[in-house]
Amino acid sequence: MSVGHVARALEEAKIATVIIAVKSFETRMRMMSLPRVLLTPQLLGRPMGSPFDENLQINILNAALQLLEKANQNGIVQDYYNTDTIKAFTNEK
Amino acid sequence: MEREERTESFESFIKSFFYGKRSDLSFKFMSDLTLNDASNFIQALFKDTMDSLDDGDFSRVKQRMLQGQIQGYKEQKNFEYDKGPFHPLEKPVSELKLSLLTSSGHFLKAFDPKPLGVENMTQKQAENRVFDFLKEEPQLSDIPFDSMPKDLKVRHGGYDIRAAVKDPNVSFPYQRMVELKEQGVIKALTSSAYSFVGACSQKRLLKKTLPDWVKNFIDQGTDAVILVPV
Repeated sequence: MSVGHVARALEEAKIATVIIAVKSFETRMRMMSLPRVLLTPQLLGRPMGSPFDENLQINILNAALQLLEKANQNGIVQDYYNTDTIKAFTNEK
Repeated sequence: MEREERTESFESFIKSFFYGKRSDLSFKFMSDLTLNDASNFIQALFKDTMDSLDDGDFSRVKQRMLQGQIQGYKEQKNFEYDKGPFHPLEKPVSELKLSLLTSSGHFLKAFDPKPLGVENMTQKQAENRVFDFLKEEPQLSDIPFDSMPKDLKVRHGGYDIRAAVKDPNVSFPYQRMVELKEQGVIKALTSSAYSFVGACSQKRLLKKTLPDWVKNFIDQGTDAVILVPV
């Protein structure tokens, strides 16, 4: 919620923002009416994925930049998906 | 030798992961589950662990953890706003001056913010005093984008920092942002990236701290900021 307040203050000052948050934070992110939120299917404390997964880190940042560019109104909350996630969901029993 | 007391309740067991005797911030969400959901989660995690040991595919363990954490945080509600501000991007990403701000609690070893006035506070001390942090104004750490990971430290009483200790980029992706600039994906970065401990007084953040932080970004001609909560 601290970062949500930072986002709101920056947007009011005409600085665009995009938040990269773990999926677990979805409820609290949506409740704060934030401009742009990218939700990653990652564990708490690891919003950009596992240590040293540089490709994933770059891919998530690129997805965040795309969201930054494409969003045209407040309240855009988007899920980030990649092939690893699809594999994980496939394995779900 | 006396036998260990064996009368602990299951409720006490799951709550002990939330700043209790088994404190583990990756599992503190269990205290927000019903007893039935918590027992189902633990049982399923054991099963997934065994299956993963058999075939070497640990993605199901990660997926189980994700589901548990999502379930635990689902009902957590704090600040609610009906509407919010939105500033559209005024130029393409390739022409942006970007910055990074995270609530991950990273700082340069040479500039320890000394939270609560404590010198060289350990992660354990930060966890033990997390409720004191929640009363304090946050301190922003200035971390130049050309800093080496070995010069960084992370400390935050609200989340499991183990991954962030190994690689700061898991919650403070400053090195990847430098690469995006080098690749020409973005035009420029502010001189520094920024981090603070998100477990702080929201009242003080809103009334006292944020105006200065916003002014700092305006003064640097920042077009957009990537924000990462933990």
